[in-house]
This record gives sequence, structure tokens and C-alpha cells, in this order.
Amino acid sequence: MSPAAVEVMELTVRFGDFTAVDRLSFAVERGEIFGFLGANGAGKTTAIRTLCGLLRPTHGSARVAGLGYEDGGRALKGRVGYMSQRFTLYDDLTVDENMSFAAGLRKLSPEVLARRTEELFEFIGLTAPRNTLVRHLAGGIKQELALAAAILHDPEILFLDEPTSGVSPVARIRFWKLIRNLTEKGKTVIVTTHYMDEAEQCGRIALMRSGRLIALDSPAELKERTFPEPLLELDAQGRDPDDFLNTLRRNPGVIDVQPYGSRHHVTVRSSSEEAVLSSVPAGMSLRRIPPSLEDVFLRLVEGKDR
Amino acid sequence: MNRTLNAFIKKELAQTLRDPRMRVILFVLPMVQMTLFGFAISTEIKRLKLAVFHDPGDRAARQLTERFYSADWFLRVEPEGDDPLRLVRSGRADAALVIPAEGLTRSLARREATVQLILDASNATKARVAESYVSKILATARRGPEPPGPFQLDVRVLYNPTMESSVFLVPGVMSMILCLVTIILTSMSMSKEKERGTFEMIISAPLENWEILLGKTVPFVLIGMLDTVLILLAGTLLFDVPVRGELWKLLLAAFVFVVTTVTIGILISTISKNQQQSMLGSFLFVFPATLMSGIMFPVENMPKTIIVVAYLNPLKYFVTLLRNILLKGGDPWVLWSNIGVLLLMAVATTALSFRRFHQTLN
Repeated sequence: MSPAAVEVMELTVRFGDFTAVDRLSFAVERGEIFGFLGANGAGKTTAIRTLCGLLRPTHGSARVAGLGYEDGGRALKGRVGYMSQRFTLYDDLTVDENMSFAAGLRKLSPEVLARRTEELFEFIGLTAPRNTLVRHLAGGIKQELALAAAILHDPEILFLDEPTSGVSPVARIRFWKLIRNLTEKGKTVIVTTHYMDEAEQCGRIALMRSGRLIALDSPAELKERTFPEPLLELDAQGRDPDDFLNTLRRNPGVIDVQPYGSRHHVTVRSSSEEAVLSSVPAGMSLRRIPPSLEDVFLRLVEGKDR
Repeated sequence: MNRTLNAFIKKELAQTLRDPRMRVILFVLPMVQMTLFGFAISTEIKRLKLAVFHDPGDRAARQLTERFYSADWFLRVEPEGDDPLRLVRSGRADAALVIPAEGLTRSLARREATVQLILDASNATKARVAESYVSKILATARRGPEPPGPFQLDVRVLYNPTMESSVFLVPGVMSMILCLVTIILTSMSMSKEKERGTFEMIISAPLENWEILLGKTVPFVLIGMLDTVLILLAGTLLFDVPVRGELWKLLLAAFVFVVTTVTIGILISTISKNQQQSMLGSFLFVFPATLMSGIMFPVENMPKTIIVVAYLNPLKYFVTLLRNILLKGGDPWVLWSNIGVLLLMAVATTALSFRRFHQTLN
């Protein structure tokens, strides 16, 4: 067994002239929840598909469960589970028919199929009759079933590509509970998401932009590193903040001012924090807040586009 | 391997038989097509509208006219005025026969009788048939009571003695339907997987290319054979098409043909990006294949350059096989040579689709 679940070195994937993934390097430890965060088209899906053996690297190398692409990626495919961002179950087949087709693809014996579906339906808490057509299931249940089909062969590494897009908030919470349960059992989960609250639950986050890895760390470290200086939140409470904002922007102790909903987030030098805090006009509130992942995302990913 | 193939067979059968659109294609379409070709469409042309222009006092002309209308071939149209052209132009008659003004009785006596036939050839088939009927009737009329000449033709019609066109057409239609159904089903099913994203689940499993191709082929060969049996039953029970050859010859020929068309369907799906393109691709193949198969028009009459293309058409070989087995009892040379050609084609299309098929998404 290799120490790392996934090891990626200078991985590059091109489609014609377009470079979707550009010299990506990282390693994922066993039992980790590893998140990919980035805008649409940042290369998250391409990276995941390559690691599942659905795409071939143009340059660089990747070892997944210690395996590469020498045999067309078949050995690798046997060790990982993949849940695409597209719904990959058959709408016009029943729950059972879908599971038994997934088992057939992996050449599982009928006994293994019976045992695993029993376990997995209990794991995802499936209550719908097993002869229900999948098209009649609710969105969240469909996603849980797709997860069950993806881990039917009990893979050690699981790749989830936006598993909760278009699913209700309650179903999202349920789904993440399942993900945590899996890693507690020693599975490695690599997941892409658009939701910041989901990214918070990852052990480490890889931030991607235009195919490149621009940051990789735990959520706490990312916040710490991106915002070493204090972050303040200005709430104008219905007043016009423009004059004050202009004063702030001219203040050499202020590093950055970003609109944040109806409020503003202000980054200041530690030495100027007190002075800035006390300069707030009457009727507005300015207070120190811990940075959120969204602040990090805005600063690192979107910030560079401006 | 058995497990994967099994899973594909179960899955495709469930999906195909559950889908109302597919049920229509599989079961209703064949019946409608066969009914159309078996009952409604017929290459025999009967009840042509004919007007005969003659002097009412002309006895020979009257007798000749009676001969025309005594068979089922011509319908009587009363000549109006004295302009046969107008009658044909207006469409009230398909043909007009004009007896010489001096009268048939007199010109026959001079042994110089020339009658004029005016034909509406805007439908060339109809015109040709009308002409041949008229000349046949005139020939028998001329012989009349006189002793027969030195030659006499004794015609024996084999395999389809009443020369019914349905006996000839229905086997053609059977092969056409089988071709259409198997190609559409196979190519659409493959592109549906790609369109819906379910293809990603298949290629994320550790399978060899041939395992996936076999999985997407074998179920449709089975479905095609099911349809074969259905079409054969309908053809023989509803349209009185005889089955003179052994059943195994029929099933073997159908099997080899279905394998060929299913692999063509796979090939079409490797070229198309979605279901619409697959559907269009299937029709682009099936239409010319039908026209150049000999189902309606004999291949031998086509220009040389086109014949080359016609000989690449699997449908041509299957139509030959089906007619030979059903109507003539299945001559061994016809059977094995045509099956051999179909097998070669199946191997070629399989090799081509194998080369075009990729498990990766790049």
C-alpha cells in the first residue's frame, strides 16, 4: 500500500488547444475529505475525471491507490468509486435493476450484490420500495442512491463531482453526514462543490482557477493565510456609507474594501485596527469578524480577475 | 464477463420493452408497414379508365370494345364528343383507343387496320401496363377464330403462380422493417447513454472495450430476433406468404442479418453526438439501402456505378435470402453465398466501430 491515496505530479490535461488542468501537483492522504473549490470551468471536473481514469493526462503523472494508467486505467477504476455531476442512474429502471446493473459492470456475484445493497440501503436510509422506478424518487434520494451505486464495490477512494447540486438543503446535510461516515470507516473522499458551507467540512481544500491550483490547505489555515490582518465588517444600518468608504480607501492603514451583500468587508493592518474601529461614524457599526471561506474565495479566486 | 453481459441484457430488455416509444417501433410499426405493403400497395394495375372511340355502326369495333371491358383491367369511360385528347388531358380517362374513321370492319377486310392508342404517361408505370394490356388484347383479337400460328407460348409461372405482388413485396418489407428497427434501436440506445450521462457510469467501471461493445450489441440482436419471429408470423398468417424453406435457414439468415445491422447501428452511434443525430444517421442509411435493395426495383437495372454501391448493401443480400427461402425453399448456393457476404460485412462494421469506440472522454 502506498502511503498516499492520491499523488498527483505536474498533471496537465489538454483538449486540443485548451488547457483544462495545468501542472497540478498535490497528494491526498487516506481517510481525508479533500475538496476542490473553484468557479465553473476552473478544471475541477477534468481533474476528477482524470483521476478516475475517464480521461488520460496529457503530461505529468497521477497515482491513484498507487496505480496509474498503464493498463488503460482498469486496475485504477477497480479501486475507486466515481459519482459524476450528471445523474448516472437509469430513470426508467427500478432501484433494484439499477443496483444489479451497477454490480454487473463490476462483475460482483449475486451474493455480494445482495449483501452490499442491504448494507447500503440501510446506510443511506432508503425507505422507498425497491421496485420503484428511479424517476419517481425525490432528488435527494436519487443522489443518495447514486452514491450507493458508486460504492457498491466498496472502493477505498471515492470521487464525488458536485454531489449535492440541485438538492434541497436538508438533503445536502444528510448527504454530508454520509460522506463523513465513509471517511470514519477509512475511505478517502475527494469532492468538488460550489457551496462554502460544504467546503468548510473538508479536511483540506484545493482552490482552482483556470486549471491551476492557487491554494491548498485546511479551511482554517486558508483563512489565516489569506487574512493575516484583521477583517472588519461595516454595517451602514441604512445610512449612506459612501463618504466613510472613501475615507477608508484613502487611509494607508486599510488594505482592501470589498462589498459583501449590503455590507462591506474591510481588511486593515493590525497596527491601524484600533484607529479604524474608532473612526466609524455614528449610526453605523464596524466590528472585527473571523473571515469566512467566501472571503477567502473572493480574495483568491475572484480577486485576481479584477 | 458473463455477469457483465448478463447485466446488459437484462437492462436493455427492461428499458426497451418498458419504453412506450420503443414498443411502438418494435410492434406497431412492423404491422402498419406490412399492412400498407401487403394490402394497400400493389404493383398490379387494374381498373384503368379507357374510352374507345368508334362509329356505333361498326360491328368489329363493337366486338373489340367488349373484349376490353370483359376483363378487370379496364373500366368503361363513355367517349364524349370527338376529341379523345381532351378526355385524357382532363384525367377522365387514362387511355383512349381511336378506331379509324372508315370503321374497323372495313379496314380489317383490307387487312390494314391501324388503331391509335392515346396514353396518359404522367404515371409511366400505369401507361406501360396499359399499353401492354391493350397490345395483348389486340393480339388475341387478331388471332380470333383463325388457326394458331407456328409458335405457341406455353407459360408456366413458378413460386408465385398468380403473380400476386404481396407475395413478392411482403418478404421485402419484412427485411426493410428488421433493418430499420434494429439500426434505430441500437444507435439510439448508445447515444442515449452518452446524452444522459449514464455512459459515464459504464466507462468508470473496469471494463475492456469489447465488453462494453458486446454488452451494447447482444441485447439488440436478441430483440431483433424477437421481432423477426413476430414479423414472420404476421407475414405468413396475415399475408399468406408461404414458408417453403426450413425454419433453421430462415432463422440463421435473420440472425446473421441482425448482427450486421446491429453493428451498423453501433457504428452510427460512434459517429453521432446525440439521439437526434443517431436517428438521422439511421434514416440516412435505411432509405438508400431500401431503394437499392431490390425490394421494389430490381438492382440489375441500375447504372453500373450505382450497382457497385448496391452490392455493399446488406439489405440486398437479406432480401435475396428471404425471398429465396420463403418462396423457393432455400437453394444452398444462394443461402451460403449471401450469408457469407453478410458475415463479412458484420466483421467489417464491427472492426470499424471497435476502432471508433473510445472509453475516454478526451
